[in-house]
Amino acid sequence: MKLLTHNMLTSHVRGVRPGGGFPLRIQATEVKVNNVDFNQEFVARMIPKVEWGALLEAAESLGHLSDLPHQLPPEYENNEDFLRKVHHVLLEVEVMEGILKCPDSGREFPITKGIPNMLLSEEEET
Amino acid sequence: MEKEASQLEKDHVHRVYEKIAPHFRDARYKAWPKVQQFLSDQEPGSLIADIGCGNGKYLHINSQTYKLGCDYCFPLVESARNDGHEVMVCHSLYLPYRNECFDVVLSIAVIHHFSTKERRVRAIKEMARTLRVGGQMMIYVWAMEQKRRKFEKQDVFVPWNPSPPSWTLSNTCSRGIQKSINQKDKRLAMDQHSAKLAGTSKARSSSFVGEKETTHNLFEKSLRWSLFSRSLDSVLDLSNQWHQRELNTFSNCNIQLDELNTGKLFEQIRQGGFMKHISNLSLRCRQNFEDNASEVAVEPGSPMIFHPVPFKSCYSELGQDTKQPPMSPAIIYDCSRVCLPDLLSHQKDVKQQLKIDYHSKQSAFRKLQNRSRTDSSLQDTDNDCSMATRNKQPQRSPNGACLRYYHVFKEGELVELIEHHVPELHVIHSYFDHANWCVIAEKIHVWKI
Repeated sequence: MKLLTHNMLTSHVRGVRPGGGFPLRIQATEVKVNNVDFNQEFVARMIPKVEWGALLEAAESLGHLSDLPHQLPPEYENNEDFLRKVHHVLLEVEVMEGILKCPDSGREFPITKGIPNMLLSEEEET
Repeated sequence: MEKEASQLEKDHVHRVYEKIAPHFRDARYKAWPKVQQFLSDQEPGSLIADIGCGNGKYLHINSQTYKLGCDYCFPLVESARNDGHEVMVCHSLYLPYRNECFDVVLSIAVIHHFSTKERRVRAIKEMARTLRVGGQMMIYVWAMEQKRRKFEKQDVFVPWNPSPPSWTLSNTCSRGIQKSINQKDKRLAMDQHSAKLAGTSKARSSSFVGEKETTHNLFEKSLRWSLFSRSLDSVLDLSNQWHQRELNTFSNCNIQLDELNTGKLFEQIRQGGFMKHISNLSLRCRQNFEDNASEVAVEPGSPMIFHPVPFKSCYSELGQDTKQPPMSPAIIYDCSRVCLPDLLSHQKDVKQQLKIDYHSKQSAFRKLQNRSRTDSSLQDTDNDCSMATRNKQPQRSPNGACLRYYHVFKEGELVELIEHHVPELHVIHSYFDHANWCVIAEKIHVWKI
């Protein structure tokens, strides 16, 4: 599970407040770092689509925050240095084994072989 | 009713896919070109969700975009993962995605597996929730109206068999033909074959009484039929010249359609097995078979089963009970006990097929005939899934196929579903693609007053 993927994920357990299931807290037991081709335009276009705060939080929990800024720099589209760091965090860091924890309910979703299991039990379905 | 609907889907969608997942690596499960085109047309940097991605056949398209696949079936998701895709396991009625996060959402051959209208609407709404305003959704569902045949019911069970091993075309053809010729009932084999050819143009099957086929003719005709059926649903470009020529030749065949009589029932039951064999003969047929193709081509079975009128006489002969049948869902379970003919077989030879339990099948067929005549069809009512879950195992036909549940869509049904029940989606394009009804819809803002 890449961090770009994680940024889209939320918990929908019954009873969770709207928005209360995001972002899922990552407890990783195995993290992999890959080499992925850098595509500047792609990364620049992706940035407005992610929840920046959640991305930082996730990167930090995996020890890959490095020196990513808390605020988006102005005109980041042309800031290759910055974009490369974002690229690394979005696409190169993968959680292979671990748990995603709903911040509201505490419900844990396992990640196995890089695949999150987001299935709810019948009781949890809204 | 929700529970029953969910259970039906567990038994006849989820469990079946889990079982057949390893076979999805077959070449026959190719991507629809128009879907590929739709994906290729998306802007660089688009976030795309493939809901019900299966083994991920669309996830590699357009590397300028980021694709997330999800599916209910673990083995299929694992398979996609092994190809390097970002995937997860979830249920499409409870997508684990935040609101409006995707630019594009795909639902290819998924929502026809939901057993009630309400669940189909929910699935569409759930996907729409994850789509940003201005984003587009593409939905493909199986059509009830196929090009050359029609389902008689909207709620059907379709058997699935793993594909046979690859044989060379010439070997298998001559071997296959030789086998049929060597049948005790040589005449029946030829009649079945001709009847099958006829069956592809109309729902009725018939026998080609009186015509003697040479081995060569039989081979030629079976090859044509294989190509013919492939053309119904194949992703192959139909403008391909060789393909076109074969189609033309086929359509020029004169086939007389006779009235059905009692004797045909027996032939029809065995046609399935024979057809299976014929389809094995075409290596290309098998290689290029789409998921749809292998199953749509099965459908001569369904109309055959539900064909009421001609069997009336047999029916009364047997003295069957002609009372109103029990609730329609019972039909589904009866269907699944009957050996539905399916196109791709195990390695059973034709002879063995012909010998399968003829008598019990015949009476099962006749029971079905009566029920389908008198009951209200499995139309899209809220009652259609109040079924007893008396058998929790996936239904199997005698030759081991799993049966998958489909609600096939009528023309306009998908559009109507969206227009009447999903105000947040606006249909911008709807069309028929091979055996599917397709919609492209845009997420719009819904103003609440």
